[in-house]
Amino acid sequence: MTRGTVTAAQAGLVSCEACQLLSRPANADEPGFCRRCGEELEFRRHAAIEKTWALIVAAAICYIPANALPVLNTTSLGETEADTILGGVAFLYTSGSWPLALIVLVASVMIPLGKLVALSYLLITVQRGSVANSHDRTRLYRMVEFIGRWSMLDVFVDTFTVALVQLSPLMSVAPGTGVLFFAAVVVLTMLAAETFDPRLIWDATNPHRNRHG
Amino acid sequence: MADEIDRTELPQATVVRRKRTRVSIVWIIPILAAVVAIGIVVQRVLSEGPTIYIIFKSAQGIEAGKTFIKYKDVNIGLVTAVELSENYGRVVVKAKVAKHAGGLMVADAKFWIVEPRISLSGVSGLNTLLSGNYIGFQAGTSTESQRSYIGLDVPPAVTDEKGRKFLLKAPTLGSLGVGSPIYYRQLAVGRVTGFNLAPDGKSVEVGVFVESPYDRYVTSETRFWNASGVEVTLGADGFDVKTESLAALIAGGVAFDVPEFRPPGGDVPADTAFTLYRTQTVAMKQPDPLERRFVLYFDEPVRGLSVGAPVTLLGLTVGEVTEVGLSVNPRTETYRSRVVITFRPQAVFARLDKADPAKATLEARNRNLKLQVEQRGLRAQLQTGSLLTGELYVAFNYVPNAPKVKLDLGKDPLELPVAPGGFATIEAKLASILTKVDNMPLDAIGVDVRTAVETLTTTLKDADTLIRRVDVQWVPEGAKTLEALHQAITDADRVLVNADTTFFAKDSPAPQDLRDTLQEVTRAARAVRILVDYLERHPEMLIRGKPEGSK
Repeated sequence: MTRGTVTAAQAGLVSCEACQLLSRPANADEPGFCRRCGEELEFRRHAAIEKTWALIVAAAICYIPANALPVLNTTSLGETEADTILGGVAFLYTSGSWPLALIVLVASVMIPLGKLVALSYLLITVQRGSVANSHDRTRLYRMVEFIGRWSMLDVFVDTFTVALVQLSPLMSVAPGTGVLFFAAVVVLTMLAAETFDPRLIWDATNPHRNRHG
Repeated sequence: MADEIDRTELPQATVVRRKRTRVSIVWIIPILAAVVAIGIVVQRVLSEGPTIYIIFKSAQGIEAGKTFIKYKDVNIGLVTAVELSENYGRVVVKAKVAKHAGGLMVADAKFWIVEPRISLSGVSGLNTLLSGNYIGFQAGTSTESQRSYIGLDVPPAVTDEKGRKFLLKAPTLGSLGVGSPIYYRQLAVGRVTGFNLAPDGKSVEVGVFVESPYDRYVTSETRFWNASGVEVTLGADGFDVKTESLAALIAGGVAFDVPEFRPPGGDVPADTAFTLYRTQTVAMKQPDPLERRFVLYFDEPVRGLSVGAPVTLLGLTVGEVTEVGLSVNPRTETYRSRVVITFRPQAVFARLDKADPAKATLEARNRNLKLQVEQRGLRAQLQTGSLLTGELYVAFNYVPNAPKVKLDLGKDPLELPVAPGGFATIEAKLASILTKVDNMPLDAIGVDVRTAVETLTTTLKDADTLIRRVDVQWVPEGAKTLEALHQAITDADRVLVNADTTFFAKDSPAPQDLRDTLQEVTRAARAVRILVDYLERHPEMLIRGKPEGSK
């Protein structure tokens, strides 16, 4: 797609998001439903920016307790120890395995934060009608979307650990409240990435028919 | 595509009217997230208790974020920081106390570090081996809230249990330690809470705690004694083993009771001081109104006579030896042993039908004593209580034919006469027998016998000669005479034979007696030798007796 390419929206047509059937909208404001599959037709995802913002804000709120609260409560020989993500990173770093600390830091702290920042950046640029770096921004969006499916690894590890390490009474592991928030962050950012309509990035390049919002 | 397909043939979308809200419902999600997050924060803040500071000498095993403060095994706080004090002399432990326990942080609350303690009195704080040390807590009674404390070096032995503390004074601590149990009728009813040297350094003060309701058995008449370990007494009384419990055996302990001969006694306030007696026997010893001390001087060795050895009167225990020492006999200027005994005849004399001897005056008692000693021959003797250990005891017996003595009632303590006894007597008797045997003129007797026999032989020979002469000279003098003579000779012969028989026959009494005596002596000597040999080989025979079937 290059600048000046006619989009379906500009041609007064709407593409079904489910079955990709190109339809004529019922009218400009309410395109109606797909004749073939019954999906609601939209020129652009409805209120994409607002929804994405809402999800990003929710994710950002959850991000704080996700890091502040323990994700794992290890009870080892009567002594309960609560570990937060950052605490784990600090422990790994101080115990000398800084590569592992780096991996955890990147995977569990930087990536969710990066996703939030990236999505916010995309939204802001779209809202401001920025036309610059459209290609890079699209690539960024793809990356955010791609990474999303791997972001639950921490939660998986957590749940696996909890399920496997039940050597009561010697040792047992229980999930902390933090892991719920962490999962919420991951889910919310994934939803935000899903809600965001990447076509909006390109709408700014065709300013006379901007249908977002 | 648009060129080939008629636009009108494309399907027309249907229209459904729907209300559009100005603000998307999706904002519920961040609001929900915010509410939950804020809720958690609020809950955290609300559940946060006070932060306290505890000063310890050292922070052994205390780690920030890992060490708990526990009260009744419930975590009521967590150490958040461990730092050195400003002058680096102490350790300041900062801890966050749970909200629900915030009210416990009062002025007289106590903190100490609980670590595994393995002492003979038992193992405590074993759980800390696995969980790490923790800070123990004892609630106070004050209502004044406080935030900084000075931690105790040792855990307080008494927590908030009900009961009373008492103070025991003892010359030595023995094997007591903090936590050693206190027994009342072998029931563990308390423990030693601490001990310290008396200010003058000459005795030890032991603090004990007796739990309620047992503390009411501690009365003004109560006596405490050290029940540590096993009290094994191997004395002239024989074997005596006493112990309160297996725990006391290892850990030591204190027991108390009211002596039977005392009234129950009245209530005592807490912190009353008591004497801690060495043993139960000492503690429960009944004071005797007739108690008096006598001194005995023995010329025989007193090895095996120890302080505390019993003093018996006709086999009944009436006292004990209280002192064994040495003195000089002023008459012979030789050393002799001086034994002081304590005479407590109350228990024995009380059963006499006569009037209570306790009521008798000292004079009357002295008169009786004088009678017994001077007229009836009551003497003190050293007797062997146990052949195995050679323990001696002092026995008062009536000794027949005892040399007369005069009792000097002026002396204090009174000196009582002694008589050799026990082994000494046997030894003396044996020696006297041997001396008598030794002194027997056996050689002289033998010579005499031989002389007698020789004389007889000569006599016979003379008689024979005479007869021959008569035969030769007097034959013609008549057969009658001869015949008579013959008869006489025959008679004489018979007499001689008889004499011979009398003297030399095996069953003749005189030499027979002698022979018998000698044989007896030989046999006795042999028996003694065999016994000595056997004893050398089997000294255990003295205890176990001769094994069956052996010679």
